[in-house]
Amino acid sequence: MKELKRELIIPNSQNNLAEADDFIESNLETLGVDKSLIADIAISATELINNAILHGNGGDTSKQVKIRLEVENKTVIVEIVDQGKGFDPTIIPDPLAEENLLKEVGRGIFIARSLVDELRFDREPGWGTKASITKYLPG
Amino acid sequence: MKLNSRETGGVVILEPKGKIMGGPDATAMHEMLHELVAADKKRIIVDLGGVDWMNSTGLGILISSLTTMRNNNGDLKLANITEKIQSLLTITKLVTVFETFDSVDDAVGSFSTN
Repeated sequence: MKELKRELIIPNSQNNLAEADDFIESNLETLGVDKSLIADIAISATELINNAILHGNGGDTSKQVKIRLEVENKTVIVEIVDQGKGFDPTIIPDPLAEENLLKEVGRGIFIARSLVDELRFDREPGWGTKASITKYLPG
Repeated sequence: MKLNSRETGGVVILEPKGKIMGGPDATAMHEMLHELVAADKKRIIVDLGGVDWMNSTGLGILISSLTTMRNNNGDLKLANITEKIQSLLTITKLVTVFETFDSVDDAVGSFSTN
């Protein structure tokens, strides 16, 4: 499989979510990645991009979100970087708890983590929170 | 995402197509579902056969709509669930919340037996 390294920076608006999704999906399609695996990566990534736009950057339209896509050694890595002050992902309420099951929001990080092999959060100097997802491709 | 709707036997069938991921399309679907309640249309089927995938935004819209319908003595049911969406409903335990059907006809029929 070919290797790939691409980057997209979008203005901080959900109006740009489809562009970010297309960036991820079309690049992975050109490498022949399985459609179902692309969907898992895209669902996970759009959860984190929504999170970056709405929470990390607080909906501030003067900010940006950076999306970095890397494919190497049968491994897909997507990094989503906001310009926010960061958050503690361990304090998110359990979306599977009975009292949270009917809540409209609060399951994005859970879904993002469920569909990939690794999800971690750290900081990117000069920017803000960096969410990194890793998905290992079969074969 | 594209969103069509039709009505049969007092049941409104919504047919979203594409991906439900957030942004203006998702907002349009959310608004349409709440307008249906305002128009006293409370028997809703969402036909998910044309939806490639959705993320938590899509699930949030369905939950919000389900709650609104049930609070107004109506109901919202799901039909033609794809494998990808079934998997999401399972991992989020929402499979225990929604009534799902293999076909729109089965979902429509379930309203008449209620």
